Amino acid sequence: MELSTIKDAFDRVAKKQKLSCSKTLEVIDLVGQEIEQAMAKMQSTDNGAGCFDQKSILLELKTKLNEMVPMNQLEGSQRELNVGLVKYAKILEKYFNPDISKAYRNIDFDIHIVNQIIASHFYRQGLFDLGDCFVREANEQDAATLKSPFLEMYGILEAMRSRNLEPALNWASKQSEMLRQNGSTLQLRLHQLQFVEILQKGSRNEALKYARTYLAPFASVHKVEIQKLMACLLWAGRLDRSPYAEFLSPSHWERLAEELTQQFCSLLGQSYESPLSVAIAAGIQGLPTLLKLATVMAAKQQEWQAMKQLPVPVDLGREFQFHSIFVCPVLREQGTDENPPMLMPCGHVLSKQSIVKLSKSSTRPFKCPYCPLEATVGQCRQLHF
Amino acid sequence: MDMAVESPSSLANGDSSAVSTATTPAAAAAAASPPSSRMLQLAESLKLEHQFLRVPLEHFKKTIRAHHRCAEKEVSAVLSSVAEAADRSDAMSREAAVNHLSSLVSRLQGLKRKLEEGSRAENLQAQRCRARLDHLDSIDVENLTEWSNTRLKRILVDYMLRMSYYDAAKKLAETSNIQDLVDIEVFLEAKKVIDSLQNKEVGPGLAWCAENKSRLKKSKSKLEFQLRLQEFIELVRADNNLRAIQYARKYLAPWGATYMKELQRVMATLAFRSNTECPSYKVLFEPMQWDYLVEQFKQEFCRLFGMTLEPLLNIYLQAGLSALKTPFCFEEGCTKEDPLSQEGFRKLAAPLPFSKQHHSKLVCYITKELMDTENPPLVLPNGYVYSTKALEEMASKNDGRVTCPRTGETFNFSELVKAYIS
Ligand SMILES: [Zn+2]
Repeated sequence: MELSTIKDAFDRVAKKQKLSCSKTLEVIDLVGQEIEQAMAKMQSTDNGAGCFDQKSILLELKTKLNEMVPMNQLEGSQRELNVGLVKYAKILEKYFNPDISKAYRNIDFDIHIVNQIIASHFYRQGLFDLGDCFVREANEQDAATLKSPFLEMYGILEAMRSRNLEPALNWASKQSEMLRQNGSTLQLRLHQLQFVEILQKGSRNEALKYARTYLAPFASVHKVEIQKLMACLLWAGRLDRSPYAEFLSPSHWERLAEELTQQFCSLLGQSYESPLSVAIAAGIQGLPTLLKLATVMAAKQQEWQAMKQLPVPVDLGREFQFHSIFVCPVLREQGTDENPPMLMPCGHVLSKQSIVKLSKSSTRPFKCPYCPLEATVGQCRQLHF
Repeated sequence: MDMAVESPSSLANGDSSAVSTATTPAAAAAAASPPSSRMLQLAESLKLEHQFLRVPLEHFKKTIRAHHRCAEKEVSAVLSSVAEAADRSDAMSREAAVNHLSSLVSRLQGLKRKLEEGSRAENLQAQRCRARLDHLDSIDVENLTEWSNTRLKRILVDYMLRMSYYDAAKKLAETSNIQDLVDIEVFLEAKKVIDSLQNKEVGPGLAWCAENKSRLKKSKSKLEFQLRLQEFIELVRADNNLRAIQYARKYLAPWGATYMKELQRVMATLAFRSNTECPSYKVLFEPMQWDYLVEQFKQEFCRLFGMTLEPLLNIYLQAGLSALKTPFCFEEGCTKEDPLSQEGFRKLAAPLPFSKQHHSKLVCYITKELMDTENPPLVLPNGYVYSTKALEEMASKNDGRVTCPRTGETFNFSELVKAYIS
């Protein structure tokens, strides 16, 4: 699609609109001028024949105005603009999909659930005022459950932005055990950052004290990192000119803020990305395919409204791939518990049913459909993705 | 994964160089294709934006029409006033004639001022139409995240406006500075009518119908008739039977040919009155009739402005949930990143169809990354499959040993075999 052609088409319409405007004003001016001229004439005829003059002047004005056909002129300028507008609307209809609800299944979403999802979305994006406003207007008071945990998270992140690690460290120490279970080294990395901050301010003693209290507990598991950090003590106050200057990189702050967000959401039982953003983004990618399908199936409206599975694949980007889906290349069917994927000795994977069909008997070797190698049923084993 | 057909056989023949040469060109092609397919996808998604351009255009047209109508009315009034004066000028003093003409001149001047102001409003609306085209044109692979965020906000504003959450809609638009990209003004026009209907007044609704008479007629809208019926019912409710009959004669009778049955049913209420227990008439007196009128009005309003009847949010959400819906979403171990791991989304998705796949798509349990030719699946002796990347990293940290995260068994990296999935 060429947006520039559409822009040009619109610019032509806008030009016509301006033209029509000035033409209308022109017509009004002309009418006004005629009337003013008539007035002047009346005022200039001194006493004279009076009535008769007025009458002839007015009749003359009437004729002149009639000859001018101002109504036709007004209509003419408008007509041309209208033609342009209609044409432009047709261009839009041609280049864009004029009805994206064609693939819509006629079911009513539960408004209450949708509102809850939206309120959560606002809170988790840190839009607290907006969230409150929405909750109030939509009358969904119980949708505010996510507010206070995310208030806490954004408080921590805000503090980090002004280089204050205190709230982050407090949170991490409270969640220490959970973080460890998640395999996250967030706590150590926060302490490390704090240690470097103290050191950079030049206070070697304080840094040492800090290291003894907070870094020592990590020494057994994170030997190498701790050794490096302790070596930093030699460069207190001039870390930027040391072999460890990298510790000062602002990217540590950014990455840690991201990791903290991730861990915070995870411990809340929430996803990192807003689920509403993900679902809508998937919808925008998937809808064009669904619309094409709906057009093809236009005659089978009932089938469309009732089907249990889409008849064609809707290709989404890999960011939307949350589950392993195995499709047997022979049967073209999705694997199930009853018909799981099986690995053949050659490395090819087929569904169990396919293998049973190919083998005919459990002991006789059969040829893999994808390579010359042979296998027996017994040599195949089930896979778990 | 397309070359899986040939690679395992050559591997089995010990010809590993054949594998690598077979892989490289294909991998290069795969790496090169995403940007163009991405652009194609973007172009497809832009085609969904008809409403985004159509609504400001309809608004623009409406303003133009209103100004034009006003100009026509005034000029024609001036013309007939001149004609009339000419006809009865015998009885007119010169002073009266001059005064008359002078009043016409100032009337024209007033019209001119009004139209000049109107033309400024039209220009602003034209700019808005243009700004939207520019916004669509600004989409790029580089600013995609930001652009998509704005799109989500537009979709949310649309939802809130349709649900009459005006304050929240305005707040989101203002704080994100996207006022030109959303249709708050258009919806505020609807708000007037909706508010009045909720107050059980039909006046503004009827005025709106009159304003859009020709277009409503073209789409065979029933709204005006329904508003008239309601007004009639209210007269019956107030026991104002005489006026009710007069009203019906004047305003309902013209619709008789089109909606005879409904007309008869409503007329029958005269016999039953508002306290009737007869269910088929009792319902006509219920307050929910007004809610029904609000819904009817909203639909007509959306249709007139070229909007979808459903909020955009519902349309996209439905498409997205259907595309995402797999049987695995409802299993215990469903990852939190999948919206369908959440109760609310699951409920919304319940009546929707499952997605379909023609090809395998495998996601590594450990890294959550897609397993493909770049990062092929490896099979542990216990049958569990993980991505090469994940297992290599694990092995490098643990002296060549890997642990199955789901069974706890440990193996040597050398015991793993590649799986070829086509
Ligand atoms: Zn094979």
